[in-house]
Amino acid sequence: MDTSELKGELERLHSASYGWALTCCRRDATEAEEVLQTVYLKILEGKAQFRGESSLKTWLFAVIRKTAISEYRRSWLHSLRLTTDTTETEQRTANDPGPVARLEHSETQLRFQAALATLPERQREALHLVFYQDLSLREAAEVMGISIGSARQHYERGKKRLRESLGLKESGYGVGWRGKENPSTV
Amino acid sequence: MESVGEEKRIRALFSELKLADKQSAPGFVGVWNRAQLDSMRPRRAFNFSFVAATALLVCALLSLAIWSKQSQRNLPAKLETAVHAPKAVETVPATINEPAPSSRYTRHRTQSPLQVRKTNNRQAVLAAANEKILSDARTIESWSSPTSNLLSSPGSEVLNSLPQLNENATDMKSFLPAKPR
Repeated sequence: MDTSELKGELERLHSASYGWALTCCRRDATEAEEVLQTVYLKILEGKAQFRGESSLKTWLFAVIRKTAISEYRRSWLHSLRLTTDTTETEQRTANDPGPVARLEHSETQLRFQAALATLPERQREALHLVFYQDLSLREAAEVMGISIGSARQHYERGKKRLRESLGLKESGYGVGWRGKENPSTV
Repeated sequence: MESVGEEKRIRALFSELKLADKQSAPGFVGVWNRAQLDSMRPRRAFNFSFVAATALLVCALLSLAIWSKQSQRNLPAKLETAVHAPKAVETVPATINEPAPSSRYTRHRTQSPLQVRKTNNRQAVLAAANEKILSDARTIESWSSPTSNLLSSPGSEVLNSLPQLNENATDMKSFLPAKPR
């Protein structure tokens, strides 16, 4: 695959890649954008090469995931040394409304995001890949670099926990979307 | 049925999130161009942390090499002091009875009194060590087990001896088994 062809494919997958990068960066928009830029840089420099062993989407998502992990590690080490920089980024993110703020019109969405944030990383990733990216469990396992059995376990547990935490939160609010979905069961 | 409905609900929430993310996503061209600019930028010649780690490793290796060399140098000296005494045992009579000066001492006849005293002292120490080793050797040589007499039986001399070819018949009979009557 030559560069122009690859560029076209990357452009097609850009919004999905951004969504995945957001999940890998704990919904931090600035970090996700940086990760995506680093991924494109890796591709341009030839550090990440697509060999056609899997689909382009799963390969790209695996690269994004690895880059996000290494970027997180680096920023964590950096934050240990320089606290001033982190306050600067905090200010920047405070000024920028970001996608979460734009979603605040939907209370359910906020609660859903809060519930997602409480999930372990692997479970969150499995749910995102299956529900958000419409990938099969096999493809999700490929992206996460784990076996399909483990991916299924993460997916099932994540779904269960998400359901529970949403239910709990809703009972706190006095509104149950489970009740809305199936009134006869409650 | 309920789980299917829940899955649908989760999927709907995710698709809502997807839509919002799509709207807030930065343009591909912008991110791509920035990455391209980054790739054109000259890279830093060396990584500081890498250099620091390498320097630390080199220091550790150097100190290890120096330490091992030092310990190797000390080892022969220790061995010499330990081995010197047993070597002298072979020449004990000569050293003890007649402390003849070695060629090294004969060569330098015009030695200072301090040097002479030092050599004498060294020889005296050596002789004392030799004497001690000799006495130890003698003690070991004459040692016998306190239970050694239990190993010898009264008829052991007869049992251990063999009849000689030119012995007379009467003497030979003692070795033959008694005839049954």
